[in-house]
Amino acid sequence: MSAIICSGVDKAYGSVKVIEDFNLAVADREFIVFLGPSGCGKSTLLRMIAGLEEISGGDVTIGGIRVNDLEPRERGVAMVFQNYALYPHMTIHDNIAFGLKRMKVPAAEIAERIRTVAATLGLEPYLERKPAALSGGQQQRVAIARAMIKTPEVFLFDEPLSNLDAKLRNHMRVEIARLHQSLKTTTIYVTHDQLEAMTLADRIVLMRAGAIEQVGTPAEIYGKPRTLFAAGFIGTPNMNFIDVTIAKGDGAGGNGGWVLESAGGRFTIEGARFALKPGAKAVLGIRPPDLRAVEPGSAGANLLAGTADLVEFHGNDALVSFLFGGIEIGAQVKATVCPRPGEAVCFAADEAHIHLFDKQSGLTLATD
Amino acid sequence: MSVRRKGRFVGRFILALAAFSAVFPFLWTALNAFKNRVDIVTPTPLFFFTPTLDNFAYVLGRGSVFQGLTNSLVISGSAVAIGAILGLPAAYALARYPGKWAKDIQFFVLSLRFLPPVAVAIPLMVIWLELGLYDTRLSMIVTYTLLTLATVIWLSVPAFQRVPREVEEAARVDGYGPYAIFFRIALPIASRSLIGAIAFSFVLVWNEFLIALMLTTSDAKTLPIVASELTQLGRDVPWGILNASVVLLSIPPLLLIGILSGMLNSAFRRKN
Repeated sequence: MSAIICSGVDKAYGSVKVIEDFNLAVADREFIVFLGPSGCGKSTLLRMIAGLEEISGGDVTIGGIRVNDLEPRERGVAMVFQNYALYPHMTIHDNIAFGLKRMKVPAAEIAERIRTVAATLGLEPYLERKPAALSGGQQQRVAIARAMIKTPEVFLFDEPLSNLDAKLRNHMRVEIARLHQSLKTTTIYVTHDQLEAMTLADRIVLMRAGAIEQVGTPAEIYGKPRTLFAAGFIGTPNMNFIDVTIAKGDGAGGNGGWVLESAGGRFTIEGARFALKPGAKAVLGIRPPDLRAVEPGSAGANLLAGTADLVEFHGNDALVSFLFGGIEIGAQVKATVCPRPGEAVCFAADEAHIHLFDKQSGLTLATD
Repeated sequence: MSVRRKGRFVGRFILALAAFSAVFPFLWTALNAFKNRVDIVTPTPLFFFTPTLDNFAYVLGRGSVFQGLTNSLVISGSAVAIGAILGLPAAYALARYPGKWAKDIQFFVLSLRFLPPVAVAIPLMVIWLELGLYDTRLSMIVTYTLLTLATVIWLSVPAFQRVPREVEEAARVDGYGPYAIFFRIALPIASRSLIGAIAFSFVLVWNEFLIALMLTTSDAKTLPIVASELTQLGRDVPWGILNASVVLLSIPPLLLIGILSGMLNSAFRRKN
């Protein structure tokens, strides 16, 4: 069992607190991704779990044992660093074997384990080379091999793919996902790349300024962002945000619904999913793929109309940008039916896809 | 000829001139070491002559020169060895675990080299006289260690700082303690710069003159002192002997640097 529990973890440098009261339970065999912009404390937190950074307050337990005062080697963790951190003066073979030698593993077993790991990661041809003679992707594979061979309780990855080019990054991402499928080791993975987070994570821990913004499966965070920040950070292309003022609807019958007044036009919704107050300022969010193209000039509610000013071609689909009430709105359409710049466009925002956040606190107004 | 080619020609010519003016004195010294007196003092410089080893035989035949050579090797060698053994760990500690005083310690170490040697030599002379160790190898080794230690520390701190911190952290995660990380990670990675620092400190004490002049009279005289005494043999300057002793004096530092860099190269080649 190697569940990780952080309870009330703090980190302070002198009087500057970078992480305050961090609480998280990572289940055994879970793949957790710490996601957030740079400087949000995600790497510091990982280093505290690894034992490379002192824990200023609170407790970290791994497999039920409090590890606050234990050296990294006593925690059963293995770590992959952003810039690989291979030993430049040793061969690839010695790099991988270095940790096992310390653990006093018999030479015959070391050789056997290196053979297995090298075969898994395709490193056999490079074992006698020095790290400097390898490409970035190969070096990162060596770093993963070095971590893997110790059969640790916990894998820690600190932005392992951020130094690689885009193509290699996709490739290595798949390899890491496959590795986790076969090894099932509890993993914490730090990244600022939401695509990596979405594709790899069982659960994402979205962080901002040393605190947790939202914890959930990629689908939960994408579908039900808890805050304005989460909504804006996750999802490519970015979610559109429109400032609105909430008012009671004037429809017949007791349930008249709600009206959201914006600079570009009004939206009427039933509002059953949301906790709304008349007169409150809110932010309406809708993702570009959720905007439904309708015939320009159509009449009806919840329409966003404008003139296409920029069309980004993405292959299968295209992103159309237009101004709506002075705000730049992006809508994703099929590339085959995409309008040309200068043409009139009109999109419908269906209530099911609308997100509402409190303007002041940034918290979601959704009740489910 | 285009302007560009002319410019390149002039540039090459200036470079060649500079190189010649730098190298020729050494060549001339080496040549003169193998000349008879007559060939040296002749008004027309001679490039072709019958070489003789008389000068070397004379220099090496003198007991004082041989003693000076031994003294120099023992004193400089020991001072550099002690300086490296104590200085490298000190530099590593300053680079990796900088405490409140790290900056001050580093500055203090460097400030040891600010003092003019004369100012240091006189009090040291009194100290060694009082301790009854004046004109001994031991006193010279201890004195020179002050110089090598300061130099090794000052030059090694940046070398250790350049070792990527993540690599040391990786070793920590691999289960190694601070001593193992120093010997097996930091030292080998920084070795290139460290060898430079050690070689430099050796050259510094090997060529040291003033302190040696004041702290030795006969038993512990180093080679630079002995060589300088050769000029005082009379009114007649023994050029050949002087040149031969200069050549002899230059060999050990060259050997040391050659051996060290050779060691380094082979160490790196073997692993490749």
